[in-house]
This record gives sequence, C-alpha cells and structure tokens, in this order.
Amino acid sequence: MTKPVMLDRRSFLVTTGTVAGGFALSLTPALAQQRAGAIAELNPWVVITPDNVVTIRVATPEIGNGAMTQAALAIAEELECDWSTIRTEQASTTRDYLSYGGYSPIHPAAAFFGGRSTMGQRTKAMQQVGASARERLKAAAALRWNVAASDIVAEKSTLTHSASGRKLTYGDVAADAGKIKLAAEPAIRTPDQWKRLGKTSPSKLTIPQIVNGSGIYGVDVRVPDMVYAALRQSPVHGGKLKRYDESKIKGMPGVLAVVTVDPDEPRGVAMMSNAPYGYAMTQPRAAVAVIAEHYWQAHKALEALPIEWDDGPGAAWPTTQKIQDAAIAALDSDDNARSEMIVGDVSGIATAKKRVEQTYLTPYCDQAPLEPLNGTALVTRDRVELWHGPQNTQQAFWVASDESGMVPERVFVHQTLVGGGFGRRLESDDVRMVVAVAKRFPGRPVHVIWSREEMMRQGKYRPVVAAKLTASLDEKTGLPTAFVAKQASRGHYPRFADTAYFMGPIPNVRIDARELPFHVEPGPYRGPGYNSYAFMQETFIDECAQAAGVDPLDYRLRLFRDFPNPGWVKSLEDVAKQANWGKKLPKGRAQGLAISAWGLNGQKTLGTVVAVIAEVSVTKAGELTVHKLDASFDCGRVMNRDEVANLIQGGLIFGLNMALNEEITVADSRIVEGNFDTYPMLRLRDAPEIAVHFGGLSGLDRYSEIGEPPVGTAGPAVGNAIFRATGKRLRRQPFLKQDLSWV
Amino acid sequence: MALEFKINGKSEAIEVDPETPLLWVLRDHLGYTGTKFGCGIGQCGACTVHLDGQATRSCQISAADAAGQPIRTIEGLSPDSSHPLQKAWIEMNVPQCGYCQAGMIMAAAAMLETVHNPTDEDIDGLIDNICRCGTYTRIRAAIHKAAAEARKA
Ligand code: FES
Ligand code: FES
Repeated sequence: MTKPVMLDRRSFLVTTGTVAGGFALSLTPALAQQRAGAIAELNPWVVITPDNVVTIRVATPEIGNGAMTQAALAIAEELECDWSTIRTEQASTTRDYLSYGGYSPIHPAAAFFGGRSTMGQRTKAMQQVGASARERLKAAAALRWNVAASDIVAEKSTLTHSASGRKLTYGDVAADAGKIKLAAEPAIRTPDQWKRLGKTSPSKLTIPQIVNGSGIYGVDVRVPDMVYAALRQSPVHGGKLKRYDESKIKGMPGVLAVVTVDPDEPRGVAMMSNAPYGYAMTQPRAAVAVIAEHYWQAHKALEALPIEWDDGPGAAWPTTQKIQDAAIAALDSDDNARSEMIVGDVSGIATAKKRVEQTYLTPYCDQAPLEPLNGTALVTRDRVELWHGPQNTQQAFWVASDESGMVPERVFVHQTLVGGGFGRRLESDDVRMVVAVAKRFPGRPVHVIWSREEMMRQGKYRPVVAAKLTASLDEKTGLPTAFVAKQASRGHYPRFADTAYFMGPIPNVRIDARELPFHVEPGPYRGPGYNSYAFMQETFIDECAQAAGVDPLDYRLRLFRDFPNPGWVKSLEDVAKQANWGKKLPKGRAQGLAISAWGLNGQKTLGTVVAVIAEVSVTKAGELTVHKLDASFDCGRVMNRDEVANLIQGGLIFGLNMALNEEITVADSRIVEGNFDTYPMLRLRDAPEIAVHFGGLSGLDRYSEIGEPPVGTAGPAVGNAIFRATGKRLRRQPFLKQDLSWV
Repeated sequence: MALEFKINGKSEAIEVDPETPLLWVLRDHLGYTGTKFGCGIGQCGACTVHLDGQATRSCQISAADAAGQPIRTIEGLSPDSSHPLQKAWIEMNVPQCGYCQAGMIMAAAAMLETVHNPTDEDIDGLIDNICRCGTYTRIRAAIHKAAAEARKA
C-alpha cells in the first residue's frame, strides 16, 4: 500500500476504480478505512470515461465567484487534460457523510462545501487528484507499449511516447488506469512550476448554460408530481400566528392545502450534528403557506387568505427612529459593554489637547440576491430530498435533517446554481422553512417560493450599528496616539478590531461593544460587520487627517509606513498613481480615498486590503455623480486574474449601492421596504467607470478572499470625496437620503 | 380557459387563468425556466422576453394579453448559443451568479435589432435591468463587442 497523502492534519488514501467503464479516482480519508461500515464504493473526485470526457466532482457550490471553475483548473494543472473535455458535477453531501469526509479534506464538515476556492489546502487536494490520475494514465500507457512511464508525455488529454511518437488518448487507457498501483503518489507542482494556476483565466464553466437559459437555479427545479407553495411569515419578526380563515379560499382554483410552521414545536435528530454554522441562526419564524398546483394559484390564494398575528415582543420597537435612538443612546453607558480589544493604555485620551470625536450610524440592509429565496423538498417516511441553491451545501444538508427528523444518511441534497447569496443563503434558515412546509405535505415535492416582498421583509439584515469613535492626535505629527471605539448593535458581527491600524500604527486602542435587544434579526451581509466598520473607520481617519491638516493620502502612508505587510503602502501608492491623486478638479468635483481590509483574523500578513479612490461631483442642488472608482489591492498573490478583477468590480458596485441607496426601515414594528421600487439598485446608467489595478500585490504567499474586501472600501471613499467636494461630512448611510446641497 | 402561445416559433395551447402573468405561464406551465423571476413588479428585468420583437417584462403582462403574439425567450435566441451577445458574454466572462443575465441578454438583443452601433448613452437609456452582482462594467463592454461583431457579419 502506498503512503497516504497528508492534507492539513488529516491523511487520505488515493483510491481508484472503474466507473462508467472508465477511470475513477478518490481521496478517501484514512480514518474511514479503519472504521467498520464505511462505504466500500468510491467517492470519485475525477472520472475519465472512454469518450475522453473528464468529469470533476466539486464540493464547493458555484455562487458566482468561479469556485467550480477554479477547482477544475487546479485538477487540470496536473492532469494536463484538454480544457474542453472537462465537465463538472456537484459532489454529494450524503456520500461525504457516509465516507467520513471523503469530499472534505480539511474539516469533515465545513471546509469544502462552501467558502473560498483558492484556499491553499483546497488547491493542493485538487492538484493531488490531478497528478495522481495523470501518473496512472501514463503507467497504463507504459504497460501497453512496454516502455518506461518516464518516457511518456501527458498533454492535452493525449499520451505520447516521445521516442516512437506513438499516441493514446486518456479515454483509450482509462479502464486500465483504474487497475494501476503506484509505488508512491507523485508530488504536486509548486507555484513556481504552475502552468495554468495564476497564469490563465478561463471563462467560467457555468457561463454557456447561463447564456442560453438552460442552467438550473433552485427556482428552476422541476420534478415529477411537484406542487408549489407561497409563503407568509409573521410580519413582525418573532411574532406568533393567531388564526387564519381557510374557508375564505375554499374552492379557489388549484389550491391543495394550507399548512403552518410553528417555531415552538419540538424538532431535531438525536445525534451530533456537523452543521458548519450550527442551528441557532436557523430557527423558523411563524408561518402560513398555501400549497397549490401552480405558483400563481398559491400566490393568489395566499393574498386572499385572512391571517391574524400576535406581534410579540417586537411591538416594543415600532419604528426605525426608536431603534436608532436606542443604539446611539447606548453609547453613553459602559454598563453592559463587552470588551473587544485593549492595546496599550488609552487613559491619556481624556486630557489630550487635540481630540477628534464623532458618532456614526449604519442602517439595516437586505442582501437582496436577485434570485428570491426558494427551495424544493420531498419528505417521505424513509427519505428526504432537497433541491436547493445554498451557499454551503453541508449546512443545508444538516438543517434538512434536523427539520425533518430524518437521519443524515437518508437525506439527499441536490445542489443547484445559486442566483446570488451575499450571506443570505449561508445559514440555511430558508432550507428549514422549505422542509418545514414540505413535511406538512408529505409524499409530493413542494416547491416553496418567497415573493420578493416576503423575502425582503423576512430578512436577516446587515444590522443597525452605532459607534462613537474618539482619537487623540499627536501635537506634532497629527497622527493618532490613542483610539477608542464604543459600539452598539444587535448581531454577532462587530469586526472593528480587524484592521492594521490597531496592530502597531495606532499604539493605544480600546474597543467595546454593546448588544441591543431589537426584534429585527441580523444576519451575515457580504463582509459582515466589516461593511459598517470600514465606513466608520475610514471616514473617521479622514476626519483625523483633516484635523491634523495633513493630506489624507500622506496621513495613511505615514500610519502604515512600518507595517510588516507592505501591501498596505503598496496599494495606497499604486492607487494614488493610477488615479492621479491630487489632480486639479473644478469646484464641486473631488477625489476621496479609503483603505480597509477583510480577513486579517488578527494577523499582520493575512487577509486582503483594498485601497479605493473615488472621483465624484455634486451639484449645488445636491445631485451626486460618482464618475470613477480606482482600486488597488493586496491579497498576497492572484490565482485567477480576470475572475479577481470581475469580483472586485462587482464588490465595488455592491459596496457603492450599499453606501448610496440601501436602507431597510421599520414602521409599526414591520419592515417597510418590500421591493426594488423602494429599495433601489444601481443600474447600468449609474455605474461609474471602474479600474482595478494589480500594482498593490505584495507577492506574499497567500491567496486571500476577494468577494468581501471591496464592499467595505467603496462607501467611505465616496463619502470622503463628497466631503472634499462639498464640505459636508457624511457620518450615516445611505448617502442619497441626505441633503448634499452646498453653497 | 384555453389560450394559445407562440413561443420561439412553436404553438402551445394550455388551460390557464387568463390573469396569470406571462412570466409564470412560461416558467411554471410551459417549462421555459430561462426567463427568471426577480421582483414581479417590473423593476428588475430578469423576466425580459421579446413580445412581437419588443423587449417586454413578462411579469407585467397577462397570459390573455400575450396569447397569440410571437414570443421569444432566451431559449429561442439562437439554436446553438451563437448570437453575438451570447458569444461575447462567454468570451468576456461577464456573469457572476448569472441570474440576471438572460434578461440582460434579451434586453440587449432587442436593442441591437434597431440600434446597430449603440453608444454608451443608448445602452444607459435602453437597458434598465438590475444586476445585483454588479457586472455592469462587463455587460457594457460585451454589448459593444457583440454589436461590432454583428456589424461585421
Ligand atoms: S421579475 Fe419582471 S421585472 Fe423583475
Ligand atoms: S450576475 Fe448575479 S445578478 Fe447579475
């Protein structure tokens, strides 16, 4: 037996076999081999059939960030197959469970069925699969020709014997390759040997099915005998269902049933769960659903159904005003403050000669992915099927098990394409709701669709965050000598501490947070916590620079001059050069700068930093135009240049919309906004020119996140530009609800 | 009530409530799921189809009004994804999640039927669809590229 491959702290055996008349290769956890009852079948990662097609099983869902394509690229890096022969399929969570993590080489639960595709261990696992397959194909050809495998070159799905010029395709030897035993697994290529990774940017493999309409998202699932459900949850989060009058919709066409979801009923399976995010954030809201033969019938009947609700404790928070006032008022008391970070000693701040102090506020925002929440579930006595587009398939799998009470080996999740997530599809509260409805109508697949209004009003929002920031400035340099942040919100996403400023540049820091009891539920919104703090932080630093009388770029450059990760200074210098910082502009037109980072996790050389310069103009009447956003960044190294550019462009637009437009408000304890007429989105005509520059890259050995970082930086860059154009400092979002006029 | 729909050159007669929006007739009754549901109120454009050659938000027109008129959906834009817009979208890696893109392509295709060399202002004025992933930079570039290709052909 060959030595197992080590990935992270777990070891895997490379196992091969025959599937569909061809070659199949798996990574099987060494642990699974020792356990009785482990499945004997293969969990193929890659299958090569006699027709030369290479099928790659990818665990990571494709949510629009190219994760699936990236996995294929890492395998192709080693396998040397023709790119056009690659097909991708989603790996099965059920098989992963049964094989003790056969598709999860990092952590048995979380790592592979969600998250970032470029993580080091992930790329290495995929490369190993490709390399191990390639060497077996070569060995099979060597056997057939009776030559040494080392004399064979594998390229473009063809095996060539260099001396004789003989050729075989991968498909020709696929069946033989399954029987090959290697003395040792091949080593994988190191980054300096890569030919594709880091060098090529193929168009995403999902795009052909997107542009002809054949791609299947969750909402496109059609299975035999399927029925549709329209959903209404308690309009006040945390409320209870009082009663409904089914007689009013009796006889409406197509209506099959009215079912309810009770948050208080006992649920669950008596076993240890491996749900990556747990169940606490997935608790259902009280709900009524109408089930009908067609969606429009269900929708009409639900509209006609009289329902009465008990508003519950949410009645205490009737309006946005009351919620925001409470958040700001909470900043004045330290009684219930929880300490987040203490560095050095901030006591000097109270008596400092030069002090800056300001209060900031961000509103509730909805992730609003363009595909409304939905899902299809079939619950029978002995199995549960779920067709769904979650951001993390493993989470969906466990939640489906928990809600239905079905043991995980009898739960089958069919991952679809995902029409945007941005955090809303991460925790799988939507999966719980789908299964909760379907289990009341067992035996037929139930396709539950949230209307846009239902989805927006039943959100898990970017929380309202209030913060008071104070800094003392050095009398000579004007740089901050101490910094205090007091913060209040409901939600577990304060990330004030995760920035380079507090790892040296500002020597004394204290940050604390207050938890507020609002009924409106928070949730992960692209760059959780960070999307608020980056705005506050970078507006505040700009205010400090202004108080110090120093140019905002110089101010930041001085702060980061000695920071161990050169990416901060490089990004600032690159973006300043590219955008021609300080260029002369007419009155009412100005540039603004911001820099922020995501994913540092308290480490100086981790994460991704993004520096943005925005150029805006504001008319005297207060009409804003964002002309251009320039961005430079450092994520260490780049694996797929064009995809990185695409995600930064999109992330800047997302962050810009958040800063300019987005606010969910509350009246009568209910969410007011329901659709894009009241929750506006930027359109083509509003989108500024965007330039993504690569000159900030430090080249340090990491491939950090790209999706979240630009979301935090766009807003403060624009806000700081508005200040320089108008003299108006924006300390709240969204900007477009504020008066920007100037004289 | 039985209504007849002419979709991508094919006639299909079905029993349907005449007030059902065309969007749901297409998606749920007839299986043309390439036309997407995004908002249901005419805001997002994910449901854009061609109705008698005009870009139309199918959530805003009833089955009764659409019946009998020629309808083109994304599935019928070209038999083999060879429309210049489809080719440009693939080449330029335009989509992220992709959910808005069928509607974008249908809106752009209707525009290119009459405006062969669209300016940025034409694009801004005629294409009002939402992309939550923010792929506007690439959408604009791909429309220009497809228009140039179409003019060459
Ligand atoms: S679904 Fe028709 S415009 Fe949004
Ligand atoms: S690509 Fe996701 S909405 Fe446009």
